[in-house]
Amino acid sequence: MNIHLVYTALGFYLVSTLLYALSLVFNRRFLEKPGYYGFITGFIIHIASVLTRYFEAGYTPITNIYESLSFLSLCIAGFFIYIRRIYRVQMIGCIIAPLVSLIVIMSLNFPSEIKPLIPALRSAWLPIHAILSFIGNSIFIVGFFISLLYLAVEKEIKKKKSFFFSDKFPSLSTLDRINYRCMSLGFPFLTAGIITGSIWAGFAWGSYWRWDPKETWSLITWIVYAILFHNRLALGWQGKRTAYMMILGFLLIIFTFLGVNFLLKGSHAYI
Amino acid sequence: MKKQAIGIIGLNHNTAPLEIREKFYIKEGSIPELLARIRQEGINEAVVISTCNRTEIYYSGDDNEEMVRKIRRVLSDAAQAQDDWFDHYMYIFKDEEAFRHLFLVASGLDSMVIGEPEIFGQVKEAYRIAASARSTGFFLNKTFHKTFNVAKRIRTETRIGYNPLSISSMAVELAKRIFGNLDEKKILVVGAGEMCEMALKYFQKEGLSDVFITNRTYQRAYKLADEIIGEARPFEALFELLTMVDVVLTSTGSDVPLITLDMLHMAMKKRKNRPIFFIDIAVPRDVDPAINNMDNVYLYDIDDLKDLSQKHLSNRVKESEKAHVIIEDETAKFSEWLDKIDVNPLISHIMATADHIRNREIKKTLARLTNKDPEIASAIDSMTRSMMNKLVHPYLALLKDSEDPAVFDTLKKLFQFEENDEENMDSGDEGL
Repeated sequence: MNIHLVYTALGFYLVSTLLYALSLVFNRRFLEKPGYYGFITGFIIHIASVLTRYFEAGYTPITNIYESLSFLSLCIAGFFIYIRRIYRVQMIGCIIAPLVSLIVIMSLNFPSEIKPLIPALRSAWLPIHAILSFIGNSIFIVGFFISLLYLAVEKEIKKKKSFFFSDKFPSLSTLDRINYRCMSLGFPFLTAGIITGSIWAGFAWGSYWRWDPKETWSLITWIVYAILFHNRLALGWQGKRTAYMMILGFLLIIFTFLGVNFLLKGSHAYI
Repeated sequence: MKKQAIGIIGLNHNTAPLEIREKFYIKEGSIPELLARIRQEGINEAVVISTCNRTEIYYSGDDNEEMVRKIRRVLSDAAQAQDDWFDHYMYIFKDEEAFRHLFLVASGLDSMVIGEPEIFGQVKEAYRIAASARSTGFFLNKTFHKTFNVAKRIRTETRIGYNPLSISSMAVELAKRIFGNLDEKKILVVGAGEMCEMALKYFQKEGLSDVFITNRTYQRAYKLADEIIGEARPFEALFELLTMVDVVLTSTGSDVPLITLDMLHMAMKKRKNRPIFFIDIAVPRDVDPAINNMDNVYLYDIDDLKDLSQKHLSNRVKESEKAHVIIEDETAKFSEWLDKIDVNPLISHIMATADHIRNREIKKTLARLTNKDPEIASAIDSMTRSMMNKLVHPYLALLKDSEDPAVFDTLKKLFQFEENDEENMDSGDEGL
């Protein structure tokens, strides 16, 4: 059941991607709305797929790579819809719709059958820790793309030669405000994710902090975002510098999320 | 009588970069002086057009190379120009090419922003200054009046000026790329000249009300604020204003940059790096170009806006093609007319005499009118012109068709024509 729903959701995401792409390439703004509604439909079906998986498996489905990628893309999709509603910005879906589609496609390349939960993950902390961390990560991933977009638009306005991005995407201020929103929302989630992880480790492994690679790299990522947060508030860092820091933070998140598992071995080996 | 030539020497935004145009820019107040220098060189008819996009001298006189050299010398002294600048940046047109160029300029087809209406007023003003300095005579009077007609014809017969992309509208469009919605943004206008006035009117039309105006002469800023929109602030408050506004439009006559790198570094600290956008349409520039390299600071000068306006060119290509057809048509007509004059100096004398009387009477009539409606003035102008043409036409027709020297002599007496006396009659009257 779950897998069929995922395919259906993916179908909607892809239709949305196509509409966004057409809207972008042929400069047809009116295609943005149907693209967005297609995306929302995909999102709702995607939620349904995760819920059915939850009931079928009997545990929060964030325990292997398939489930993780699927849940991550769901969070990204949800956060995008939130941004789209708050800032009434169009065309950002041109980036998010293909991104979400891509992550869902990636997830489908990993084994997706439901297995009994390994003992280490049988804990009430699983949903708390995993959901908080995933929401935080997905917000920062969106922030990363917003930052890239910011840099592209900024460069165009400074170079004064041609206006491709700045014609189609939101204004610099709006992008910067979204970036700030990503930062100020993502940071508490990331912090909460690390704290709950630490508490869970305290129960499971008997120690709150053991400098496990996952823990170490999470902390490094957290410090980068903390510096960024501080500089923004205290030193008035705006625009380009925020964008560069968000990009650095994103690279660390990707490394912590996937790299650590593949390159460094640690206790946090599930995902 | 020798053949008369109409010529132009000048440079514009297509041939010269801003740095060079700044050097050649001639302030309105200095134009009469320049015209006097040109007259000293023995060139009696000249009009100087100098805007931020062009400096051009139109002249009329005997047809020889010496005249070009003289004008070059005067211009070169005024701008302290290097010799090779003329080869690199200047164009020289004569006769048909010259008045075709003037037609193009006046109808906005040679403008940075194609079809913009401001240049028409600037050409008119340049002509007015030359006329009141008594630097125009029969040929340039005729040429400029023709030009105004052509420009008006293009305005009515094409949509070239429809919804013009003014500097102000481009500024607002750019500001939106940076700030999105401008409703809550504060705008500062530095200067109180014509460009600032137009910008203020545009802001008012766009519903942007958070506007400040500052100017070295506070009274003028106050007057603009009072008449159009905004809040006048003393010039000393410039730095303080830079710490609070979001968009700055500068257009002053200052010779040195008013907004420097150091000043803005300090302002940005106080602003906590909030973005600020400068549009500098002054020539010479009011804002140090280096500030565009600062984070969160954006600067567009007049040349940058030019490149932008090219983007919108395509929409206007069709209209501009129509306009070019009109210009070719009018150029041919005018050229033909001038040729006839050259064939017979007496014809030009008759025309000049009649036109002179006409102008004098218009002046008198307008001075008596209590209603200063420009529409009435233009109606009187065109009515008297067609009356004049109809009255003079039989004489001209007779002259052209008749081989009889007696006709020629009679008309000479009738219109008190003496060979080589043309300049005297045009410049010797108080009323003009």
